This record gives sequence, C-alpha cells and structure tokens, in this order.
Amino acid sequence: MTTQTQKIPSPAAAPAKRQSSAILTGHRFAGPLFASPALIGLAIFLVAPFVLAVVLSFYRVQLNSPRPARFIGFEQYTRLFTDPDLSAAFGQALLNNFTFALIVVPVQTVLALGLAVLVNRKLRGMVVFRTFIFMPLVFPLALTAVIWRLIYSRGDEGLLNAILGLFSGGALSSHDWLGSPSTALGSIIVMSIWQSVSFQMIIVLAALQSVPTELYEAASLDRANKWQQFINVTVPGIRNTLIFVALITTIFSFRLFDQVYLLSRSGSVDRGSTETVMTQIINTGFDNNNVGQAAAMTVIFMLIITVIAIIQRAAVRQRGGV
Amino acid sequence: MTMAKTMEPTRRSSSMKRTRRWQTALHYLILTVVALFFFLPVYYLIVGSFRPSSEVLSGLSGFVPTNLSFDNYAGVFDHLNSDATGYFGQFALVSIIVTTAVVAGSLIVNSMAAYSFARMKWRGKKVLFLLVIILTIIPFEAVALPLYYMFSGQRDTVVIQAIPFIANAFSIFLFYTFFLDVPGEIEEAARLDGAGPFRTFFQVIVPITKPAFATVAILTFLAQWGSYLWPVLMVSDPTARPLPLAISIFQNQQPPEWGQVLAFGTMFIVPVLAVFLIFQRWFVASISSSAIKG
Amino acid sequence: MTIPKSRRTAGIIAAAAAVSVAALSLTGCGGPDTGNAGPSVEAGSGEGTINVWAVDGQAAENDALKKIISNFETSQNKIKVNLKLFPSDQYTKAVNSAAPGDLPDVLDFDGPTLASFVYNGKMAPLKGSVSGETLSNQTDSIKAQNTVDGAVYGVGMMNAGLALWGNKKLLDSAGVTYPTTPEEAWTAEEFTGVLDKLAAVVPGGKPLDLSEQYGFAGEWGTCCSAGPVIWSGGGTMLKDNKAVGALDSDANVKSLTTLASWKKYTDPNADGLAFPNGRVALSWVGHWTYPTYKALGSDLVSIPLPNFGKGTKTASGTFAWGMGATSKNGTASGKFLDFLMSDESVRIYTDANGAPPATKTALSASSLYGPGKQLQLLGDQLSKACGPEEQITETCVSVTRPVTAGYPIVTDQVGKAEAAIYSGKDAKEALSAAARAIDQNFADNDGYRK
Repeated sequence: MTTQTQKIPSPAAAPAKRQSSAILTGHRFAGPLFASPALIGLAIFLVAPFVLAVVLSFYRVQLNSPRPARFIGFEQYTRLFTDPDLSAAFGQALLNNFTFALIVVPVQTVLALGLAVLVNRKLRGMVVFRTFIFMPLVFPLALTAVIWRLIYSRGDEGLLNAILGLFSGGALSSHDWLGSPSTALGSIIVMSIWQSVSFQMIIVLAALQSVPTELYEAASLDRANKWQQFINVTVPGIRNTLIFVALITTIFSFRLFDQVYLLSRSGSVDRGSTETVMTQIINTGFDNNNVGQAAAMTVIFMLIITVIAIIQRAAVRQRGGV
Repeated sequence: MTMAKTMEPTRRSSSMKRTRRWQTALHYLILTVVALFFFLPVYYLIVGSFRPSSEVLSGLSGFVPTNLSFDNYAGVFDHLNSDATGYFGQFALVSIIVTTAVVAGSLIVNSMAAYSFARMKWRGKKVLFLLVIILTIIPFEAVALPLYYMFSGQRDTVVIQAIPFIANAFSIFLFYTFFLDVPGEIEEAARLDGAGPFRTFFQVIVPITKPAFATVAILTFLAQWGSYLWPVLMVSDPTARPLPLAISIFQNQQPPEWGQVLAFGTMFIVPVLAVFLIFQRWFVASISSSAIKG
Repeated sequence: MTIPKSRRTAGIIAAAAAVSVAALSLTGCGGPDTGNAGPSVEAGSGEGTINVWAVDGQAAENDALKKIISNFETSQNKIKVNLKLFPSDQYTKAVNSAAPGDLPDVLDFDGPTLASFVYNGKMAPLKGSVSGETLSNQTDSIKAQNTVDGAVYGVGMMNAGLALWGNKKLLDSAGVTYPTTPEEAWTAEEFTGVLDKLAAVVPGGKPLDLSEQYGFAGEWGTCCSAGPVIWSGGGTMLKDNKAVGALDSDANVKSLTTLASWKKYTDPNADGLAFPNGRVALSWVGHWTYPTYKALGSDLVSIPLPNFGKGTKTASGTFAWGMGATSKNGTASGKFLDFLMSDESVRIYTDANGAPPATKTALSASSLYGPGKQLQLLGDQLSKACGPEEQITETCVSVTRPVTAGYPIVTDQVGKAEAAIYSGKDAKEALSAAARAIDQNFADNDGYRK
C-alpha cells in the first residue's frame, strides 16, 4: 500500500501496478462493496447526526419553531458551565450517572460472579433455578419499569413495602421508594440489576467453566480450601472476563435512559434526584424544545464517554488484558 | 445444565457427609431466595394480569391467585377495537416487522462488512475499520436528538423505526472476531473452485460461522424488541405504533387499569419468554461467546 | 507510516465527511419544515373524508366520541370522519412534532397548549368555517381559553372542574363539618386540623388523596395541584411575562410548603381507588372521576379546595377542538365542529366523563351542574371566573392558566418544582431555579413575541 508516492491515482489507472490479493483475484471492488452498506448506514445514522449535533450546538434553535436558527457561537457551552442553574442541573445529572456507574459496576460485577458460582454447581433442579434467573433478561425496559413502579408503590399496598412490613413485623412499612430523594436512585439501580445482571452472569459462567480443572486439582493437593481456591484459582482465571463485564456495565450506566424516563415521570417523584444526562437531553430537546442546548449537552456527553472509553482501554491494555 | 447427580465418593466419614448435606441444603436455600427475587416480579405480572385492577395493588395479597379471569385481556382488546385506537395485533405486527427487519438486515450488512475487514485486502480498510471501532462507543441515545431532527419528515413510518439500527458497529466487531478465526485454506479452496467473493462468503463462510450469526441475531433481538426512545420520538400514529408505546394507554385510564397494563405486558412478553425457554441453550451460548470474542 | 499513506488517510476521512454532509443535505438539515407561509385553510368542497386527531382517553370518552362520530356520519352522507386516537402522554408531542402540513383537519388540544400551537403556525382560526351560532353558544371561560390574539382557534364541548370530593360517612364519623360554597372554604390551617381528625377514622391513617398517581411533574401538577395552591395563596406563575419575582415569591414558597406538609396525610393512590374504596375521606381531583365516584351515592359530597389566603381557586379550561392550519376541507371540518358542539353531542360526551358542559345551552340543560344538582359547586366555581392570573381577586374562583406560547416551559418547570418540593426539597430554591429557567427560555425566544 505504500508503493505509490505520486498523486493518488484514479482507481481505474491503478490495477496494473498492484499485486492482486491472493484471496480475491479479479475482484478489486469486492472489499469496499462488501463494507459499503454498513459503512453508509453508520455514516448516515451515527456520524452525520453527531456532526449535526456539533453544528446545532452553536445555534439558538427551538424545535418546531417558526423562528430561524441564530448562530451564537459557544454560548450554549458557556451557559452549561457558568449559569448556576444549568450547570447545577447538568452537574447533578452527570453526578447521577457517575453514582449509578460507581455503584452498579462493582455491585453488578460481584453479583454476576456470585450468581455464576451459585449456579455453576451440578445440583438436581439447577435448570429450573437458572431459568428463573435468566427470565428478566428478555423483559423490555418499558415493561420492567411498569412492573417495578407497582412494586415500589408508596403506602402499604406496594409490594416491597408489604414484604418489608411482613418481615419486620410492621416496623418497616410505607416508604416512598421512588419519591424520596434518598432512595430514588437506589430503587432504579435495583431494578436495573434485576433486569440485566443475568446477562453478565452468563458471561462469567462461561468463563468459570473454561478454567482448567487441573488447576483446582493442583490447588486441592496443596490443601487449599474452597475460599483459597476461589481467590487463587478462579478469580485470576476469569480476570479478563471480569474486566470485560465491568466495561460493558460502565457503558450501560452512561446510556441509562428508559427506566429513568419512565419512572421519574410517575407519581410524586422528584426528577432532580434521578435525572441522567440522557433524560436531561431529551427533556431539554423535546419538552423545552431547546434543541441547541440539548445538542451542546450531547457533545459534552460524547466527549466524556470517549474519555472514559480511552481510559478504560488504556487500563485494560496496561494490565495485559483484552 | 444436565441433571446428573454429583458423584459421591463411596468411602467418606459420616461427618463429612453431613457437612456436605448441610452445604447442599444451604446452597438450595440461597438459590431459592435468589430465584424468588428474579421470578416474583414475573409471577406478579402474570398473576396480576388475571386479577381485577382493584386487586393488583393490594400488598401481599397481590400474589394470591384469587378472582382469576380473562377480563383484563378482554378489556385490552375491547379498548383497542377500531382503526382510531389501533389494534393489538397491529402493534404487535409493527414490533415484529421492525425487529425482524433489523435482525435480518443487521445480519447481512454487518457480516459482509466484517468479512471485508477481516479477510479482504483493499485500500483504506485499516482506517475505516479503526473508525468503526471508535463508533462502537457512541451510544444511540447520544445521537437520538439530531437524528430526529434529520428524519422528522419520516415520522410515523415503519421503515424509519428499523433502518437506523441495521448498520451496527458492535455487530461488525463481533463478526470480525469470528471471521478472523476462519482458516485461510477454506477460502483458498473455494477460490480454486472458481467461486467469486459473493459465493465464497455466502456459500462457504456463512455456513461455517453460524454461531456468530446466532449471537448477533439474539443480541440484536434483545436490544430491538423493547426499543422505546426512538419510537417515542418518531411515532404517534396508531398504524405505526410498536407495542412498548401502547402500554401507557391503560395506565392513563381513570382509575388506572393496572390489570389491563399487566395483561398487555403479559401478551407482550410471553411469546418472547416462550421462545427464550425453547432456545435457552443458544441464548446462553451466544451471550457467552459475545464476551469471549468481544 | 509514510507520508503518502497518511495523505490517503486524509482523503478517506474527507470522503467520509462528504458522505455525512451529503446525508445531511439529502435529509434537509433544516429540520422539521415549519412552513413559514402562514396558515391557509381551503374551504374545499364541503364533502369527502376529514381526518381527526384526539387523545386516547378514558374508555367511556372514546366510546362517546365514536358514538358522536357515527351519529354525524348517519346525519348526512357527504362527510366521512377518519378518527385517530393517541395516548395522552404522547399527544402533545405528536402535534408538536408534526409539520403543519401533516396535521389533520380537526384536532383535539389541551387549552394551555393552544397559544404555542398558534405561535408555531399549526392552527387555523375558526371564523368562516364554524357557524356563528356555535361560537356564540360557547361559555365565556372556554371562549377566553380558545382565543389567541383576538382570534378564536377552538371550540369546546366541556370545561373542567376541580374539587375536594368528600366521603360524608367518614367526615361525619370524625365529626368534621365541611364547607359547600367557595366562600366558606377551609383555610389551609383549618384543613391541617381536619386532616388530623380524619386520620383517626380512616383505615390506613392517611385520609387525603392528592392524585399523586397523575405525577406532579406533568400537566396535572401545574393545572390542578400547584396552580390552585399558588393562585389561592395570592401568587402567580408569571408577572409581565417574567417568572422571577412571581413564581419564586414568598407567598408561593409558603403555599407550596404547606401543600408538601400534607404528604404525611396523603395516600399515594397508585390504584386510583383510594376514595371509592374508602381508604381516604377526601380526594383532590377533577370532574373526570365523577363516573367512578358516584358509586358512593348520597355519601359523595363536593367541597371547595382549601383557601391559602386569597380565597379558594381552581383551574378552568381543558381539551377543546380546533382546525389544522393547512386543512384542505375547511367547510366540512366546520360542519363537523358544529355537530360536535350540538346539545346532543355535548350531552353524550359530558355524560361519559362527568365534565361541565362548555356550551351555554347544554350547561343549562345539564342534569349534574346547576342549582340544587349534585355538582353545583363545580359549576358555581366556573361561573366565578377570574380570567388570567393577573386579574385574580379574592372572590373569583376559576383561573385560566397562562396564555403564552411559552407555556410548555412554564408547565414543565412548575410541575418539576412542585414534585421537588413535595419530595422534601427547599421550596425557595426549587421555585427560584424554575423561575430562572422559564425566564431564560423566554429570553431565548424574544419573549415569544411575533
């Protein structure tokens, strides 16, 4: 590919000079042709809208408004960072995302590991238990949110309150799980874990089963107990998988939308305590019709995601992982 | 997943056996608690769908299967009874068409691109592949707003619900990792048989990489069937409404028809649950391979 | 890496950029076509099919609407109606997102959203399409709601009423006497005392339903929960088109804090059955629950909302009907609207949802509203109309929500602030933030002036 030092020739002029590939003699366009439908799709539905978001973020533009868009330079960005209300709200949403990630990533990874260990034993009836655990995986979030809204319902008629009341002999009851700021985010976290932890569990389970049994045999000859085996054999054996699980969970945490959108608009929920960047973007763009500002939020959000992804990739590479 | 009993060594002290048994009992206990956590909401959904709305939210008695009837199901079909409201079958059809189109389209388009990146030589390939890898981190949610802005003229169509999700950077990446493992001799043999790139791919490569296709199909299906954000933005007309958008109709009743919400939810999920139970093994295999490859 | 290679790289990136730019221009980067040409309704032939959009409401309302439409289609044979119903949480978004050219001939709209729809060129004035009789038969408060810049854009079949519905049996057993006219409304302090008494007689100890299940962070909060509280306490949401100095006033802080203090008496009512099942003695809700609540028979009483200092207040105004800006069949649409507003249609519709009729003749013939009838209080409250916020007096009762094209931001912020206060946040802080957000949005849009 580095043989041409001249101007880039038109494709028609090139063939004679190039060694045809060993694989595809006479099909010079097959490669680009195979790739082009997907690449065009990505260009139109991912790259172009992102470019458009950047462009829109420099304008003052309202959704469906007869007013023409007005160029305002970096004003949307300066506002997001300097306007006390906006920066507070945006900061709160970012904080909620980070809190969610900080809790969910370790908790869900550990839970996935625990569950995988739990179901990895050959016991009678294990198929049934596993099936129960997998079930929520096929639940769409729009439906999950409705069910959990009922479960979290304030007052004694809510299922969670009723169960807690039963086990505490009536001492604990009637907590407003979604409505009180201190438990709103936690409630959403539990619901999200319910819906998706078995995905991670399956991944960890596969890794567990691929740890060579000889390692365990060697460990038990060394008189290592179960816990020592777990720490010294199992965990190192599936380390890369655990990192992968943590990675995808982090990405899920930042994409958090459906469940928050659906739950924080029900009952007397205080939106501020659960708002995520995504729900805020949609709220700004579609309820307040402020497209320009929503676009600026999108751009900042993308920058943050990119930085996180780069840091993660670097960290993984440094540890000789994936 | 087999039901095979654990092999008990024959000569063991009775105390060890007893600890064993205790451990197993404890294991079952934990398993039961965990399974209950995952299953109770599902049970609650299904039982509630057969109970009167007034009894859905009634504390622990919400779990008790009393006063069962099909009234809520009748209520759902009764409400969705005309062109004006749209029909349940119509919403289901939209969901099925959109999901099928996305799954099928994404299998074809992304596998071809991945094959091209993994096995063909062409100019610019490396740069473009790097771009694709970068694109895997952009979540759809982040471009939803500008995308809406670009395509607002196509609102209320079935096509626009499907088309943005066909090309998918992560699916390309998954296929890519599978195709890298295909031995070169297979392609060489196909070439010697005089097969062009299309025949080589569709008749030789695709059949030997079926697990890759199953993985992408299942992951795409799971992401697409419950798709909510994009339809909320793009769809209001009953003729193009997918199932997730229709749930709120019953919630907005006076008083809220929770029984009908749950009946609707049950009809939404049970077919998927059934397919999942039948193909559970594949599900598990494909999710695990997504990790091992990814 | 050699230089030529990177040059090629640059070329490829340029090509990718070109593709995305092409995609942009193909799809019309300008976004939704808002059509600046201005509304132009064509009279049309007066026959054919007209498209109608409405909210997918209560089952009984849907049935009533379908009945009215089938009556219309049998009453004549030239005009057919093609009705489409949208879930209420998605309805306003549907109208907002549709380009004027994609809007139907006739559409349902919520009163306070009208100004914004008109501002965005989505609605057509009704004069010339709808008959003069229909227009003059509208009650004053509904006419006020449907008038923007002096032109009438909508006609309504129903108005809306709010009240505290009371369970007489429970009130009596707690020894609570209750007011029946707006003038005698409980003060907020008295009301707290009443709740204390009632807490002792209801099964769960929570005697009040504030209709939490509708979500305060939506229109319910602004119209019917925070709105009446604010107005009754002597405050407003906007003053001279500004929220700072109005929404964040000390009066509003006090009133909404008082409202939030009742949370401990409040049943969340997620099943909507707290009142009919006797879990609560008082239910703060609109007329639309009447068809369910009337099961209580003579135990059902209507009580004015509490007085926060400047007399009890309710919101007036609700869904009404208008014409899409680019209808090609104005005459036929007008005929349909005339038919919707006929006494018979209004009777069918308001019987289904218990609403006060919005036409003068139907109101006087109503079996529920009027002297001595069961919902007399709600009718009286509507007849004591205040008009918009700035004209509120101590004696008037029903207030029209702010008529401004910026209403979407107002309702979003007021509802959000109410939910925050109700969940325990500082009221001053929440209201100030909401007020600044509203003003910023107005400033960005030059105060929504044309």
